[in-house]
Amino acid sequence: MIPALSVKHAGKTFKRQNAEPLEALKDVNLEIKAGSIHGLLGPNGAGKSTLISLISGISVADQGSIEVFGLDVAKQTQAAKQIQGIVPQEVVVEPAFTVREVLYYFSGMYGVPAGERDARIDAVLKDLALSDKAEERARSLSGGMKRRLMIAKSIIHKPKLLILDEPTAGVDVALRQKIWELVRRLRDEGTTILFTTHYLEEAEQLCDRITLINHGRIIKDGSLKDLQQEFSKNVITFELYDREATALSGVVADGNAYHFPMTDLAKDMRTLTEHYQSNIKSIRSEAVSLEKIFLELTKD
Amino acid sequence: MLTNVFALYAREVKRFQKIWLDTVVSPLMSMVLFLAVFGIVSGDRMVGGLPYLAFVYTGLLTMTMVNASFSNPAFALVISKNLGSIIDIQLAPLPNWGIGIAYALAACTRALLTLAVALLITIWFIPIHGISHPILLLLGLVLTGLEFGMLGVCFGMYAKNFEALTFVTTFIVQPMIFLAGVFYPVASLPGIWPMVSQFNPMHHSVNLLRYATTGYADTAPMLSLGVIVSITVAVFVLMQWLTKKKLNS
Repeated sequence: MIPALSVKHAGKTFKRQNAEPLEALKDVNLEIKAGSIHGLLGPNGAGKSTLISLISGISVADQGSIEVFGLDVAKQTQAAKQIQGIVPQEVVVEPAFTVREVLYYFSGMYGVPAGERDARIDAVLKDLALSDKAEERARSLSGGMKRRLMIAKSIIHKPKLLILDEPTAGVDVALRQKIWELVRRLRDEGTTILFTTHYLEEAEQLCDRITLINHGRIIKDGSLKDLQQEFSKNVITFELYDREATALSGVVADGNAYHFPMTDLAKDMRTLTEHYQSNIKSIRSEAVSLEKIFLELTKD
Repeated sequence: MLTNVFALYAREVKRFQKIWLDTVVSPLMSMVLFLAVFGIVSGDRMVGGLPYLAFVYTGLLTMTMVNASFSNPAFALVISKNLGSIIDIQLAPLPNWGIGIAYALAACTRALLTLAVALLITIWFIPIHGISHPILLLLGLVLTGLEFGMLGVCFGMYAKNFEALTFVTTFIVQPMIFLAGVFYPVASLPGIWPMVSQFNPMHHSVNLLRYATTGYADTAPMLSLGVIVSITVAVFVLMQWLTKKKLNS
């Protein structure tokens, strides 16, 4: 099966005036399965937006290749752009036009026939709860509405690959939930989604797979479960009523808590309960959060 | 692909229609004021057998058209860059030639619309009776609209901000107008200036359109047509190159 996105050995360096060239991406390899939600995470300046600009065909990679559903972005640029929808990080609207006009001309630029546009616009506006704003000037919308208009623009031509560059930045909780709902529904309908966010709990909730990028390099790629397993601390943490009890070999004190290295959860729990018996106040095995993995991997 | 390009063209036409006071009425106001002044001061003066008012009128119409076609894409692109909405045309599956052509055709449309309105308002006061070469006039109008529209696209792609736009309008476009033979025959200029005017693309537009309308020419009309065609082709190539360079980093 052709992957939705295949990035092979991609690199990009920007020339700068009065400064050394900036190597924004180095030997990036990434593959996204069709029909999945893929999270691209990284600190500010990690290279996420540069990678998105290469995938979307705005910039050209200096090295390597990028294919969207088998279409080479550098050689089949128009065809590759046709099947992508992008929500850029920055919220930008055309000040002169109404919401409907923005969508009418933008969908036209993606080849949607004039006769089909109004029906599509109505459907997308309904999906994004913007129907009552259709005839208003885009510039008069609130920040959240402008964000929704950006999303409407990106899906009006029914793309196969949807790229959302921090779509929930600065939006309220209710709208964030709506965006999540839409993203899940689009995935269920077969759209592949590449999602960047600074909200790690968002990536945990939404993404089937996660790629971590830092200093222009992919530093980790896998499902959340894979990452949790790999970075799990493998410890059992417990508290005791009587802190003077004889310590079991391997137990390390950490404030009021104790950590015991875990190899087999059931066996280790049994060892601890047999040793400390009713002295145990609380006991748990820790699942490492994405935030901890992220901080661990991106610390300089 | 034509649907995509046409949508961009339609968007740019819609844009100038939305601000018609600025894009259509303002240039007309300047033209009417020029005509009023020249109408009063020229009296019965003649230029090569042509009433001076008719001479300057054809020049002013061309100037209005050139200004409209140059400024439409130049302003639209510089504004888009400043707002960040230029990303719409970077993301959309539009070929580079298509982007340039859509903007240039929209510029040409605005120029022809402005010209048509200007004619409707002012033709009644001008001593011009009939058109000498209608087909040449039509060709000259379309070519001039496209030529300066594409120059506007080139500049809009190249310019980073409004200061650059003001600079070009003040220090390049305005001197070109005054050396184009809008207000007087270029042959009446002193020294090397008649020769310099031959290198001014605007002079050839003024000359061709004046000849096509009235039959009067400063320079051989076919030379002007050849220059306009050559510049239009050259600017098309430049526009392609600049669009690719500026929109695909």
